[in-house]
Amino acid sequence: MKFIIQIDINIVGKKLLQEHLDQMQLNYILRGTGEVEINEPFSDDKLNELTLGLKKYGIVIIEDEKSILIQKIKDAIIEMVYMDENSPITSGMPTFLSDKLKYSYGYLSNLFSSFTYTSIENFTQLQKIERSKYLIINTALNISEIAWKLNYSSIAHFSNQFKKVTGLTPSTFQRIIKKRRQVQIKEPDIETNS
Amino acid sequence: MQNDSIYVLLADDDEDDRLFFKVAFESIKIKTLVKTVNDGVELMNYLVDNQNKLPHILFLDLNMPFKSGMECLQEIKKIDYLKDVAIAIYSTSASEQEIEDAFVNGANVYIKKPHDFTTLKKFLEEVITINWHYLTSGLNRDCFLLSL
Amino acid sequence: MNKYTFFLKSIFIISLFILLFISSISYKHASSLETSADLLAHSYKIQIQLHQLQSYVKDAETGQRGYIITRDSAFLSPYFNSRSKINKSFASLNNLTINQPELQKNIEQLRKLIDLRFILLLNSLEIMTGSKTDQSLDENMLKGTELMNDIQLKIDQLVYLEKTIFNEHQKKYDHDITFTPLITLISLTFTLIMFILSFIKINKDLIKLMNSNEELLISTESIKHAEIIGEFCISIWNINTNKLIYSDNLYRLLGCEPNSFKPSVKNYLKFVHPDDRHIVANGVDKLLKKHDTYTRLYRVIRQDGQVRFFRSIGKFIENHGQSTHIGVIQDITPEHINNSTLQEKNRELELSNQELSSFNQIASHDLQEPLRKIQTFISLIKESELSGMSKSDIEYFDRIQNSVTRMRKLIDDLLLFSRTNKTDKIFEESDLNVLLKNTLLELSEEIEEKGAHIESAQLPVLKVIPFQIQQLFKNLINNSLKYSKISGEQMIKIGCEKIAAKDYPILNMESEKKYYKITVADSGQGFEQQYAEQIFTIFKRLHTSDEYPGTGIGLSICKRIVENHSGFIFAEGKSGIGATFSIFFPAE
Repeated sequence: MKFIIQIDINIVGKKLLQEHLDQMQLNYILRGTGEVEINEPFSDDKLNELTLGLKKYGIVIIEDEKSILIQKIKDAIIEMVYMDENSPITSGMPTFLSDKLKYSYGYLSNLFSSFTYTSIENFTQLQKIERSKYLIINTALNISEIAWKLNYSSIAHFSNQFKKVTGLTPSTFQRIIKKRRQVQIKEPDIETNS
Repeated sequence: MQNDSIYVLLADDDEDDRLFFKVAFESIKIKTLVKTVNDGVELMNYLVDNQNKLPHILFLDLNMPFKSGMECLQEIKKIDYLKDVAIAIYSTSASEQEIEDAFVNGANVYIKKPHDFTTLKKFLEEVITINWHYLTSGLNRDCFLLSL
Repeated sequence: MNKYTFFLKSIFIISLFILLFISSISYKHASSLETSADLLAHSYKIQIQLHQLQSYVKDAETGQRGYIITRDSAFLSPYFNSRSKINKSFASLNNLTINQPELQKNIEQLRKLIDLRFILLLNSLEIMTGSKTDQSLDENMLKGTELMNDIQLKIDQLVYLEKTIFNEHQKKYDHDITFTPLITLISLTFTLIMFILSFIKINKDLIKLMNSNEELLISTESIKHAEIIGEFCISIWNINTNKLIYSDNLYRLLGCEPNSFKPSVKNYLKFVHPDDRHIVANGVDKLLKKHDTYTRLYRVIRQDGQVRFFRSIGKFIENHGQSTHIGVIQDITPEHINNSTLQEKNRELELSNQELSSFNQIASHDLQEPLRKIQTFISLIKESELSGMSKSDIEYFDRIQNSVTRMRKLIDDLLLFSRTNKTDKIFEESDLNVLLKNTLLELSEEIEEKGAHIESAQLPVLKVIPFQIQQLFKNLINNSLKYSKISGEQMIKIGCEKIAAKDYPILNMESEKKYYKITVADSGQGFEQQYAEQIFTIFKRLHTSDEYPGTGIGLSICKRIVENHSGFIFAEGKSGIGATFSIFFPAE
């Protein structure tokens, strides 16, 4: 029997992290997105053990400051993009970021591009389009509803952005996903052992 | 911000195209490691072999002898441990139907081979960059669709 | 039919009765007449006798008178003769009046009177001779005369009585007789009328029957001829009585003489090709079970060994509870062979087309590949060596690029041209306004670049190949944009009008057939009208590649597209003013 599932990665990640930390019997506090505070002395060996343990889940402990900041920028952008459409940030992305992270937008911008080879604007756009893809795949909303939800000024604007980023129109994308599902349902998965 | 190079694998039977590919990657900012194979059978053998490192992203030409790109794509999609490999179709032909079919069969990217070298570099850079974002920013690989 | 026989029978019976009736009446009449005549004769006989009696008595009297006068005994002979005559008369009177007592009574009285007279006559004779003396002659004579009067009276009385009796009888017969002629006349008239009416009706029906018969004959003959001409035959099978009839032509179609074998399914199957026998046998089974037939095709081997293709169809006719199956079998051998040949040729053509199509595809792809490489390598060189190349080197490379680009476009256009056909393309009801909008969207960049202003009238919904119509619009508008005036605003107007073919001599059609005339008019550079037909020829251009890029295929593609849709395209140009392209699509 086959069924299609929807995974909320944030919840999964958090759960895995909690389980693993519980397993290691650590006293910890989870702060916001991706921040963990361990309330006890922590040896390097334990850190390695934790690092290795979490690595297999794809959870990486970021060490250097700059990486941490980059991650924070990404998180902030994601937070802004995934905000509810009824309470959008009126201040605009640059102001939002610099307020939240306490650095000038220029500095943040440069840092981001040099490390990720992508501008903040491009990354924001990418995230927005990602969210729209998520909405297209997982909800029954139509294109115009999604455009409104993501605060685009018009469907045309949204379609153009989507096409610019992905090379496909939202409707084509929708169609492809639908067809993909049908193909997956028809063909059984073959597990090949390496 | 990268620790490892991105491992790129190209399967293309055309010598010139393999050359263009390798030269283009030389000028991309992101650190990459490029390997090429000459046909579909060689590709599948490589992927199936445990000892070989899996590429982060695979570029697949559609028109290849022995095993076509589409056949390889369908086979790869059935193999469980290859599911994290991003697949980009890299082809001369690009009818709407072919593009759609490629995506429906599981391809993440479709690139129509440009005739201008600068454009080629730009395309490849974009693909690698976006792919890297998918790797590092926890984005859903199933949503990764890009057509150039 | 039954009504008819009933009618005839009833007419016959009625006529018979009337005839019998008339004959009986006539017979009765005749016998009445006879009786009447007899009565008359009888009556007259009586009267004659009576009158004779009278004359005999008178004779006797005369004789007596004569003797009295002359004393000649010669006068006495009538007197003696009359006595016997009188007796005879009385005898016959008695005979005649046997059945009439009244008369007999009176006759007796008469006899007595006459006897008395004779006595008187004898007395007178005796007086004369002197033997009687108690009477005088005069007394006697007087008495005699009185008696004669009485006798006369009596005879008159008798006559009168007889006449009365006779009249009574006569009246009775008269009564019977008067009606008979009238009744006979009426019956006869009635019968006559009936005979005439029957005759008319029978005559009419007979004529109808004869006509029907004739028609039937003609029809049967025609069918027989039709069967021979059309190479088909008929079988009639009454399922209830299991009677099977084969038309003559069935035998002929099988190469036999008509009626050369008994009509039966078994005998027919003998002629059917062994491999196809099951088709016919199954058909017969289905027929009997479900009273249903449909078209069947099978082979038959004629008497002379030739193989023919037969098609049989049939239908059930219900008539008065009888189910009859009418089957028509047709020899479709020439048709079948033609069809097979046609189908074969079609298949070959399709295959050939497919091969050509894939050849074109592959050829185009394989030709494009090396060109693409050239372009890419050149761009590679330019990028890497740009700094080290001389100005002329760069220019030469650019020219190579141009040639290659041009060649690639040429191949693409040629491929598009060869693909612009009707085969396997689906015609669907499309709104041309939507197709135009799509085209304008596709060309939005170029339109913006040239700053062109496009106006369009309402276009119709037609059954077209949508992709091709879009291509048509694209090529025409592209041309308009390409050949726009160097300066000033470029204006493209798209118009639409429904027209009748005969109003446009350029279409060269006299019919009322309706067309949609779609015009694409621009205010560009235009062209010389003398080239209006030439520009649709493939590779024919009115400019060099340096002046304006182009492959010379665009308008040929347009023409082909329009032809695929059974339409027409014409160009009108005025050098320096603009160009107008008129496309005619059939309205239905």
